[in-house]
Amino acid sequence: MAETATAAPKRSSSWRQFKAILRKDIVMELRTKEMLSSMTLYTLLTLVIYQIALSQSGSGFDIRLIAAGLVWLAFVFTSMLGLNRSLVHEKDQGCLEALLLAPVDRPVIFFAKAVGNLIFLLIVEVVTVPIFAVAFMSGRPIAGPFWMLVLSAFVGSLGIAGVGTFLATMAVNARGGSFILSVLFIPLMYPALLAAVAGSSAVVLGGEGYAATFWQAVGMGAGIDAIMLLAVFALYEFVVGA
Amino acid sequence: MPEGGSSTYAVEIEGLVRAFGARKALDGVSLTLPAGAFLSIFGPNGAGKTTLLRVLTTLTNPSKGTARIAGLDVVKDAVELRDRIGLISHNPLLYPDLSAQENLEFFAEMYGVEDPAARVHDLLTAVELDHRRLDLVRTFSRGMLQRLSIARALLHRPEVLFLDEPYSGLDPHAADILDSLIASVRAEHTFVMVSHDLAKGLELCTHALILAKGRVVLFEPRENIDPDAFAATYRSTVGMGVA
Repeated sequence: MAETATAAPKRSSSWRQFKAILRKDIVMELRTKEMLSSMTLYTLLTLVIYQIALSQSGSGFDIRLIAAGLVWLAFVFTSMLGLNRSLVHEKDQGCLEALLLAPVDRPVIFFAKAVGNLIFLLIVEVVTVPIFAVAFMSGRPIAGPFWMLVLSAFVGSLGIAGVGTFLATMAVNARGGSFILSVLFIPLMYPALLAAVAGSSAVVLGGEGYAATFWQAVGMGAGIDAIMLLAVFALYEFVVGA
Repeated sequence: MPEGGSSTYAVEIEGLVRAFGARKALDGVSLTLPAGAFLSIFGPNGAGKTTLLRVLTTLTNPSKGTARIAGLDVVKDAVELRDRIGLISHNPLLYPDLSAQENLEFFAEMYGVEDPAARVHDLLTAVELDHRRLDLVRTFSRGMLQRLSIARALLHRPEVLFLDEPYSGLDPHAADILDSLIASVRAEHTFVMVSHDLAKGLELCTHALILAKGRVVLFEPRENIDPDAFAATYRSTVGMGVA
């Protein structure tokens, strides 16, 4: 095996490394379906629990009043389950160390993992929302346009994926790690979730000035996402490294 | 000095300290190792061997002191340095749910290896895993994992190879294969190996280091070492406890 150690190796670009990590995560997830299957199943079970909880609410109860809150509640608990798993396979057989040994800037690892988690979360949402609509909202259509709901879901999910990936990295490197994610995730996500629920509720319920309420909520959510992602970006090297 | 990084010394360590709270896992380690050498590091459990390896491979920052590998500082030039080093551990550092070929292709992308397809094929052939290239790594035996791990570590043609107890858990046949693989690339790399196996470590090395309580007990070129005296010194450190 003739080898020649090079004097000045050519580094891979951050974009190429980002794509490689993201592609690897997607290929592994499609192969194992570890995150997607557990997250989807957990969400569906949550909907069953909603069905039981709302079974005595009577025919006059307008589910739309709490629909957005219920859906986001399901997404939050589901994402906690999935995000906990997202970094665990990196820990198997020391893969995270192998990744950290590569000449890659740590934020590239963060963004690739976060985008992967965002994709998986959005897939679960695409499955869950129609089922929720059929099971709970038959005959009660949403007031606003559907794309507004999609935008609101995207902004909320972006925050969940970003902060969740950061906390999952902390968790995988710490003793009693899953506890970190469970305890810190909701307090950190609280303002972003409030904005997501407010935006989604405005679209579902409609009424006078709902568009203004929606844009205010989505703007606030996007702003909170940006602040949190910048903070996470700055701290990731410390969390994942020494 | 990230731009050049060339040095007659592959490893230069000066007053290296790594503390975890009040406990010093490394306590003032200093040494220099010429390029092309093979350093075997010995010491009892908790002596600081793995911590030293983690600092030298940029996985852990030192608390004090400096370390340069291939002329690059392990803290200031960490990203550039990672291009110049490889690690073979008792842990394979491979993704179990990717095939052998997918694992190497992934790391080839991370390191920016030129002509990755040809490089991956050459390495899989060299470690005699070409016939299993499409199989998931989780189906591999310990010996096969270690061979693939060697291919991963050599993928980007590193100048310095770090080995953390690479023979751990290998059966004699797999250990023989590892021996021949190391021998085949020995001339082109500097090696730093952590080992508990005195005979194997002394057989391979050009320099030997004994650590205890995070300090250097002995660091000598192989030609100055009497194996019996060395073994006695090593045994005496085992009773010294951890750092």
